Amino acid sequence: MNSDIFNKSVLPLKDKLYRLALSIVRNRTEAEDIVQDVFLKIWSKQDEWELIDNMEAYCYRSIKNLSFDRLESMAARSAEKYNAEMENMMFVDTKNPHSAFVEKEQIDIIYRCIEKLSENQKMVFQLREIEGMSYKDIAKSLNMSEELVKISLYRARKKIKELLEELNK
Amino acid sequence: MKPTEEINALLVKYWKGETSLEEEDSLTKYFTGRDVADELKPYTALFQYRENLRCATLSDDFDRKLKKAIQQKKRENDYITIRIFVPALRIAASVAVALSLSFGVYMMIGKNDKTYFAETYSDPNAAMEHATFALDKLSEALQKGEEASIESIQELNKVDLDWKMLDSITESDINYQKSTDSLPLENNL
Repeated sequence: MNSDIFNKSVLPLKDKLYRLALSIVRNRTEAEDIVQDVFLKIWSKQDEWELIDNMEAYCYRSIKNLSFDRLESMAARSAEKYNAEMENMMFVDTKNPHSAFVEKEQIDIIYRCIEKLSENQKMVFQLREIEGMSYKDIAKSLNMSEELVKISLYRARKKIKELLEELNK
Repeated sequence: MKPTEEINALLVKYWKGETSLEEEDSLTKYFTGRDVADELKPYTALFQYRENLRCATLSDDFDRKLKKAIQQKKRENDYITIRIFVPALRIAASVAVALSLSFGVYMMIGKNDKTYFAETYSDPNAAMEHATFALDKLSEALQKGEEASIESIQELNKVDLDWKMLDSITESDINYQKSTDSLPLENNL
């Protein structure tokens, strides 16, 4: 019974949760570890599942919290190693070195912009831009009102536009 | 390819948060293509990021790793449960030993403490009859004993004995006689 709930409600979210973690920690291995840790944590708290109103929101919140915690511990490591791991995160093998370099530059730029967003704005931005979720679904997933989702997304995009324009001057 | 004006109009809507998901996909398609207008190139990074991250998925062996981790967690939980209950199990074992000993002692005492006299008659008259019969038998036996004693005394009276000499015989004398294989005391009488 419990494993059914886990298989039907939690496991299908794995790639979405992974992308959310990846967008925060920017490291594939760390992001995968985070998803696994969150799943293990949820699995080991089976007796609390009935108390969780919105499992999806609970998963997103857990991923967000653990990702930011992990980001702090990663920052504590040597900057050299950290940057080396970051370099490998987004490249697609089929691209040539030049386009891969350009892509990396662009990704670095956008990450610098995203880092300036508040946690709420980051979450809403990720779910809309990466997961392509509707405002209604985002509101449900993050346990917030649809109006707040729209306002957060508007502010996030506005800030990113300003930062992109400033960086490209 | 969409004309730049159309893309600009869509971008205006996008920044305001008024675009639909389909319109946002159109923008992504435009900005990840090769023919991006120079004035729009500053925004390329945003849509490139969007496109790249959307393709990211967990490694193929994630499910296997997760299953293994869950099994490991189960084993740890079982071990922790056993560790938690070890003191309780020790206490339970001690209690079981104490109870076994107590039960054994109780059984032994119970056997020693069994009733020797019990009411076996339901009819009082029958009981009285049996009791009278038993007492008659006892009385008869005592009577026979008494008669035998009197006969013995009369036999003794017929014998001429020096009672003073007999009284002077002490216990040590009797023992001495026994140890020296002298005549038995009975023969001296």
